[in-house]
Amino acid sequence: MSQAVLTRDAVRAQPSLGAVFAAASRSEWTKLRTVRSTVWALLFAVVCIVGLGTLLTALEVSRWDHRSITEIKGFDPLLWAFGGLDSLAQLAIGVLGVLVMSSEYANGGIILTLGATPQRRLLLAAKVSTFAAVVAVVSLMTCPVTFFVCQWLLASKHAGLSIADPGALRAVFGAALHLVLIGVIAVGVGALVRRTAGAVALLFGILLVLPGLVSLLPSPWNNQVTEYLPSSAGVAMSAVVRFPNLLGPAGGLLVLCGYVAATLAAAAVLLVRRDA
Amino acid sequence: MIEASHLSKRYGQTLAVNDLSFVVGSGQVTGFLGPNGSGKSTTMRMIVGLDAPSSGAVTVDGQPYGQLRFPLRRVGALLDANAIHPGRSARSHLTWLADSNAIPRRRVDEVLSIVGLSDAAHRRAGQFSLGMGQRLGIAGALLGDPDVLIFDEPINGLDPEGILWVRHLLRSLADEGRTVLVSSHLMSEMALTADHLLIIGRGTMLAAGPVAELVERSSGHHVRVLTPAPEILGDILRAKGATVVTDGPEGLSVTGLEARDVGIIAAAADVTLYELSTQRASLEEAFMELTRDHAEFRAGEPVPS
Repeated sequence: MSQAVLTRDAVRAQPSLGAVFAAASRSEWTKLRTVRSTVWALLFAVVCIVGLGTLLTALEVSRWDHRSITEIKGFDPLLWAFGGLDSLAQLAIGVLGVLVMSSEYANGGIILTLGATPQRRLLLAAKVSTFAAVVAVVSLMTCPVTFFVCQWLLASKHAGLSIADPGALRAVFGAALHLVLIGVIAVGVGALVRRTAGAVALLFGILLVLPGLVSLLPSPWNNQVTEYLPSSAGVAMSAVVRFPNLLGPAGGLLVLCGYVAATLAAAAVLLVRRDA
Repeated sequence: MIEASHLSKRYGQTLAVNDLSFVVGSGQVTGFLGPNGSGKSTTMRMIVGLDAPSSGAVTVDGQPYGQLRFPLRRVGALLDANAIHPGRSARSHLTWLADSNAIPRRRVDEVLSIVGLSDAAHRRAGQFSLGMGQRLGIAGALLGDPDVLIFDEPINGLDPEGILWVRHLLRSLADEGRTVLVSSHLMSEMALTADHLLIIGRGTMLAAGPVAELVERSSGHHVRVLTPAPEILGDILRAKGATVVTDGPEGLSVTGLEARDVGIIAAAADVTLYELSTQRASLEEAFMELTRDHAEFRAGEPVPS
């Protein structure tokens, strides 16, 4: 250690908060790419988005000739294309997002992370944006693929969309963004709950179980509340047909962003206030 | 330099750390000593900003840790050697740590070689032994080449060679002018490693000062005398103001007089001495003496059968 690693000036100089954020983000990227669970979860998500979307659309095509006219008229050609994204892929990204925080609490690594970046809000921002960027890359690569494959399948029944059709491009980006926002919420829930099992249970309680419970409410509350659940709001972002009891794409995006903001705000407050 | 002033931490009803004030200076190894559960780890967690003090404050080089940007360049800490993702290799672990404080990545290989883990760099941390985990934790603390180093029980799980290595490392870090704070519950280890001691029990500072001075102060010493006439000599010594306790049929344990004086008095009284020696308590005994009433968990007295 005779040779100084960093010059005195480099040590004494107070780096900007931007530099702290950049370093924390780079560090989070290194963490993500050096554990196997990331690769497996992302691979699983890719297979679900493209494979399951294609499979569900193919099943629809095979049943097409038995459909009634009203069913065909109300059919959203993207409904099944993003069926894999809305279900299993969301699960994989959700678990991975929770693990971004909870795995560090589980193995104690959080004391190193918070020791390295005591600016805790900035750290949360770095974790969230790094994970969001990774999910965005995955979803932006897979959503167009599943779109084109599924529409090619539907074209044989003259039910497919072209990317130039109204709403089509928006729906593809909507689906991609939907997955990113679910991932962001998952990181926030991981920071709030800290324990993997509890956080995963809470996240999927909200995304999967809550819609079922709300549907048990007396009418018309069940439908009115359902519109504003994060799961419905997310699905609305990638719809090209306006379904009853579903917000429009912009409304869905707005509502989901509301959930993101609320989760991250709560996570930031608790992360600063609680002992590591 | 680390400075704590009136530092306290309360968990519900328990006062884990109670009004600690101390200064850890540079260029020496400061031992932080106390029985298990005495608040050493909690204090260290407050130093590096993981836990917020209930009251009081602690600063590193005059600044609260939470205000440091890229703190690993100023302060290196090993608080929990198990705090490593088991699926990550040693090298990847140190790489993310280096990235977080914009420390050049070539430093990762340097610290791996300093702690002797170069050959295990690509092995997953989950396969590491306790001792290797400690070495990896120490590598993490050294990563930013910091002026202040904090080690919580660094020799846990190390083999004798590893213990010797840590001792030399702590010494050389201090000799380079760095501030080194190292906790232990083993007085004997601290006697070999530290220059300065902070001794706590149940969150309260019991003693602080240079190692030699603490031994002197806390244990005192006594003079052991063997004589064929213990009763006669005992009475004479008591008359001179000494405290005398019988120790065996021919032995006396004398406090309050130096061995030299006991010898002069015995010669004047024409009493034969077989043995005259100064007995110093070991550091371990001094520590036990200090913390006797402050150990949180203590084995009961052996039950006579």
